[in-house]
Amino acid sequence: MDSIVVANIRQRPIRALVSMIGVALGVSLVLLFTGLARGMSNDVERRSANVRAEIMFTRPGSQELISSMANLSTKYVEQLQQIEGVEAAVPMILYVFQSGRGFGIERVEGVDWAPFAEMNQMRIVAGRPPEAVDEVVIDQTKARNSKTTVGGMLQVFGKQPYRVVGIYAPESGARVKMSLAAMQDALEVTGKCTYILVRCRNTDEQVEVAQRIDRQLPGNRIQFTRDVMTNIERSIPYLGVFLRVLTGLAAVVSALVVMLAMYTTITERTSEIGILKALGASRRYIIVEIEKEALLISVIGCTLGFIVAICAGSLIHRTYGLMFEYGWAWAITAALIGTLGGALGALYPAVRAANLDPVTALSYE
Amino acid sequence: MKTILQAENLAKIYRVGSVDVHALRGVSLEAAEGDFVAIMGPSGCGKSTLLHLLGGLLTPSSGRILVDGEDLAAASDAERTDIRRRKIGFVFQRFNLFPTLTAEGNLRLAERIHARSNGGDDPARRREVLRLLRLEDKMHHKPLELSGGEQQRVALARAIVTRPAIILADEPTGNLDSENSQIVLSMLRELNERFGQTIVMITHNPEAAAVSRRIVHMRDGQITKSDR
Ligand SMILES: Nc1ncnc2c1ncn2[C@@H]1O[C@H](COP(=O)(O)OP(=O)(O)O)[C@@H](O)[C@H]1O
Ligand SMILES: [Mg+2]
Repeated sequence: MDSIVVANIRQRPIRALVSMIGVALGVSLVLLFTGLARGMSNDVERRSANVRAEIMFTRPGSQELISSMANLSTKYVEQLQQIEGVEAAVPMILYVFQSGRGFGIERVEGVDWAPFAEMNQMRIVAGRPPEAVDEVVIDQTKARNSKTTVGGMLQVFGKQPYRVVGIYAPESGARVKMSLAAMQDALEVTGKCTYILVRCRNTDEQVEVAQRIDRQLPGNRIQFTRDVMTNIERSIPYLGVFLRVLTGLAAVVSALVVMLAMYTTITERTSEIGILKALGASRRYIIVEIEKEALLISVIGCTLGFIVAICAGSLIHRTYGLMFEYGWAWAITAALIGTLGGALGALYPAVRAANLDPVTALSYE
Repeated sequence: MKTILQAENLAKIYRVGSVDVHALRGVSLEAAEGDFVAIMGPSGCGKSTLLHLLGGLLTPSSGRILVDGEDLAAASDAERTDIRRRKIGFVFQRFNLFPTLTAEGNLRLAERIHARSNGGDDPARRREVLRLLRLEDKMHHKPLELSGGEQQRVALARAIVTRPAIILADEPTGNLDSENSQIVLSMLRELNERFGQTIVMITHNPEAAAVSRRIVHMRDGQITKSDR
């Protein structure tokens, strides 16, 4: 073995490992956060793409991103159906609550199955629609994640379990749905709903229909589905900025960790740098040797970071149901950040080493 | 015979705070190809300073140094490094081997730096040098697994493996017992006699000086006597 790079790393395996872990941390953080943002965003997008209603009719303040209430009278359904251009109106309760596992939020919908399924072209692929107050249907993803199937019991909210009577497809909105009456019963809001989904006769006329609704039923809130069910990146402002800041911080962490490691390494090996100089090694040679070592540490750290991100992602997914989707662009960014951060961090110690006075370095104890 | 090393009127002044230390005050020295010069003198008289100047590790305050026709004093820092790489082999009192590399690794490193890249691999030359210094069975040992005498022989092997024009040795036996000193000295002598290797060696040891072809005496930064 005559490579000073490998020999150095073997000489100080713990220090090298700590630097690698530092780089790995930065890289895996970037991957996990961007993977989560992308996974959740795509998940919501997929589910909202299957909502065919163009308009959501609500009371002001009845539905926010992480909370909702049922304060809209279902009497509006008939009035809406009278309005010109409206094909169907389906009331729905969206109940958003803190998950029992203390992480993330869960959503359950209460909706009358037949009109809802007709409006959004949903089908029951196994079992039957929910009827009784303790019955729910779930989508295939929920069935897979909770390992429940038709006939099984599911803890939704409150103490009493719900019976899964059917599985529906495609996925749309909340993964767990019960009948509107069951939800009204559970929340003690008889005759109320969160919003009414309105499907237009002609999709191209949704703006005109919305204006008509506003004129005839003033004081309510009219939203277009395409605006509400947008991707998370747009609905959580500054998420993109946050991700970029995080990425920048990861780069700084990698750079600092490698810089510190190389700096101590070089102080410790001052006399070896003197030897290199006595042998006639140029400044460039010395810088390249130190950079090689930093790069090797960074590349191993990056690989470690990728492995950690993938394992942690799948563990979190299995435990909490959060979705991770890793994209090439972010993977490449993370890899570049780990390696470039390391290389950049090593540059200052490397240049310092190259500039050492050879006689002083040689006599260094 | 061809002059391979020529120093003219070298002066070196170290500045320590506001004090000037005159380490060399006008030293002139010449060495022909195949010469073996021993430099003797009391501690602090400027021997190491002179050797570092001859090898381009330092620049003189004034004077000229020609190594195989190239002027070290006029060269830039990078050029001096390059001349050192091509023409000089150093041996130090403290051996200064790479502790993480084996004996062979130390030689390979010198070869790589000499060849400026990953080239310069000459196993035949390496084997010849290691055999000459009786180190064949120590090739795969790291410095800490070797005795002082063996370490110095590895350092000597490293200095000559790239066939430098001149070997500069600063008290090469200073850290060795008399037995190991004898071995290293006889090897230097053999290198000089059999291969015509030019050597400039600093020493305190009269026995060491005896293996050389001539002795230069220094005192207070000047050469006081030079005998054949
Ligand atoms: N880097 C330095 N800075 C200041 N003074 C130095 C330095 N190196 C050597 N000297 C001084 O220069 C003189 C010659 O030193 P040196 O060449 O090492 O002598 P020798 O090798 O003969 O013992 C001494 O007085 C020493 O203290
Ligand atoms: Mg000295």
